[in-house]
Amino acid sequence: MTNIYAALEIGTSRTVLAVGEAETGGRLKISCHANIPSRGIRKSQIIDIASASHSVKSVLKEVEKNQAENGMSLTIGNAFLVVSGQHIKADTYQGTAQIARQKVSDQDIEEVQSAARGMTLPREREVLDIVEQTYTVDNYGGIISPKNKSGRILKLNALYIHGEADRINDARTAMGEAHLELRDPLFACTCAADAVLDDSQKRDGVMVLDLGAGSTGYAIYCDGVLAAAGAIGVGGDHISNDIATAFQTIHSQADELKKREACAIVGDYQGVQSRIKISGLASSVELRTISRHSLNTVVNARCRELISIIRDTLEELDLIHRLNAGVVFTGGGAALDGFAELVSRELGTDVTIGKPKHVDGLEDVPNPEAYAAICGALMYAHRNYEEKSLFKTLFGGFGK
Amino acid sequence: MSATSTMMLIGVGGAGCAMADKVYRLFGEDMRRLLIDTDASSGIAGTPFVLLGAERYAGRGAGGEVTSARTAAEDTVKLIEEHIGGVRLAVVVTALGGGTGTGATYEVIKHLGRLGIPSIAIATTPFSFEGEARHRNARGMVSMIADAANASIFMPLDKLVQHIDNMDLAMKSAVEAIADAVTLFWRLVEKPGYIRLDVERIRKTIQGAGRGRFMALTATGPNRAAQIVEKAVSAPLLADGTQQVRSILCGVLAGDDLRLSEIGKIADGIKTAFGSRADFELATVNDEAHFGGKISVVAMMFEAVRKEEPQQKKSAGRRQRMNKLVLTSSRFNNSEPTIWNGENLDVPTYIRQDINLEF
Repeated sequence: MTNIYAALEIGTSRTVLAVGEAETGGRLKISCHANIPSRGIRKSQIIDIASASHSVKSVLKEVEKNQAENGMSLTIGNAFLVVSGQHIKADTYQGTAQIARQKVSDQDIEEVQSAARGMTLPREREVLDIVEQTYTVDNYGGIISPKNKSGRILKLNALYIHGEADRINDARTAMGEAHLELRDPLFACTCAADAVLDDSQKRDGVMVLDLGAGSTGYAIYCDGVLAAAGAIGVGGDHISNDIATAFQTIHSQADELKKREACAIVGDYQGVQSRIKISGLASSVELRTISRHSLNTVVNARCRELISIIRDTLEELDLIHRLNAGVVFTGGGAALDGFAELVSRELGTDVTIGKPKHVDGLEDVPNPEAYAAICGALMYAHRNYEEKSLFKTLFGGFGK
Repeated sequence: MSATSTMMLIGVGGAGCAMADKVYRLFGEDMRRLLIDTDASSGIAGTPFVLLGAERYAGRGAGGEVTSARTAAEDTVKLIEEHIGGVRLAVVVTALGGGTGTGATYEVIKHLGRLGIPSIAIATTPFSFEGEARHRNARGMVSMIADAANASIFMPLDKLVQHIDNMDLAMKSAVEAIADAVTLFWRLVEKPGYIRLDVERIRKTIQGAGRGRFMALTATGPNRAAQIVEKAVSAPLLADGTQQVRSILCGVLAGDDLRLSEIGKIADGIKTAFGSRADFELATVNDEAHFGGKISVVAMMFEAVRKEEPQQKKSAGRRQRMNKLVLTSSRFNNSEPTIWNGENLDVPTYIRQDINLEF
């Protein structure tokens, strides 16, 4: 029997469902995926459960139809949920254990790992992930592998990534109404990072920016460990809203302008018309034109502000000079023209678009970076549940 | 004490006046306070009272209309000036959703700002069953108050009284919960102990503090410090919060038996629970008469990065345009606003930065 997993993202602009299967040799292949425009979501948060549930039902039906076309009959009963939004934050907690026989043993490590998982969160918060960072033996910190080191006290820092329980429960309800059980909720940005980064980037220092429509997630790796993570409540939807306000268009038209015409850098107009034609809302309304310079000015102001927030965050964490491997973009917003160059100029780092490296099946997808988080969630499922051989009990909802 | 105190409690609207009066009665001594409403019946004998919009509404109230209350406040908010001489810090309590609390609070806070008086706004938001109109009123004003006040705390009534089904009892409990917390905060400032928290220190702490959360806990017995820490991580806070906590104002109030180890345990516990990297300001009160045998802790936790310098004043016209947009823009109306360093990022950047566009 093949291990099969499903991952769902109820995003601000689209709802995505993907099914992954373990291939011979241990790699993961996306066997089927679908995405549809979301309804009832603003800034990564569900504001209308009935509409969000309708989106989940529609994407589920779409995946099952695609599977049927490929001659497979699959009923998806549960899915890992990719969560994003400004309610997500991360805090460090330190576990401490006494070293029993002066040299750190496996038992000491287990004890300190257990202690590091002892943080109590306020009950309105729900843990999305607990990531081990580095060990300290007496006063010597930054240790990745402490085994056999001499000392008396062993400490371990753990990074707790957590979100607002009510938000996650809203997603659980929307899924439940579509007869889909929520498996583990996972932070979108760290999932995306798992899918697009390799170990050397994490060692050298890298920041993943997951540019969603509703929010921007970040995950910063230094010396091979996740140093910080979080989310900023500004996304691509803010750019579209700024355009709609400035040029008095409807949101969908502003969104199209952003995708087709806008550039995050002002003054980069070679080979393009200085004015852009936009249609009226009704066919009887004449075409009008707007200034390309003004469009790019609006987009540039929002992008620069987002970058300045990111820079402030990096400076506050004292990580601004640790990004030797640069910045990696994932998410649908990565496609905005000129944004990568603007980030590179403002932060003084290399910027690349992160394509999922460790997953097959997305070769024909035009913007695979938009699927990075969902790929990472499937990798998480594959890694954690196959190793434990719990297929039958945990994946009872699947049936071929 | 009250004549020389530089901190003033201001209640706005019917519920805000009731909350302020409850704090005064719990405090049990004279305190600088001011009640503000469009309804003359909110006035209480012996307490300074400002009637807004007397010419328009003749003291009968704004009829639950936010716009009417706001207009009344715009016309007559200057009347508060005769009561606030020497005030260095204002704590403004109100309930959002109805008329005057929702419409006038922003104007009061804005006027205090014009006079150079920093403010902490403490406001309730409606129960979930109260109807979309009241929620919309409250939502629109939350961002504006957060923007105008130096620090602001918004408390959903649903969270304040989670297990009470009786409506009357629920409202009374909500007022009491807020009044208890504010009274503890007042004692912290007016009855200082070994570690003093005075108005000037609070002014510095709340500079650009942004949105915050509020917590008030009490415990007795030999393990009272541990109980406080346990309650701090498990009890619901008196306000919502989504961002990382950047600064914490924490007061420990107890009798003469307060031990140093207890202060340390509480401070460590709260830092661990809410933000180990946050700026932490601690104060103590030793008041055997009120706290003999028990420990009370009151804490305010703020989310924005603290600024050493006051934020740059924006031109009135620009501010009005921005606020109007926040109120009228429907795109992000139903979602949690994105506030960064006191600015509402849901308002288009080019407007906040006064960028002129060619058309």
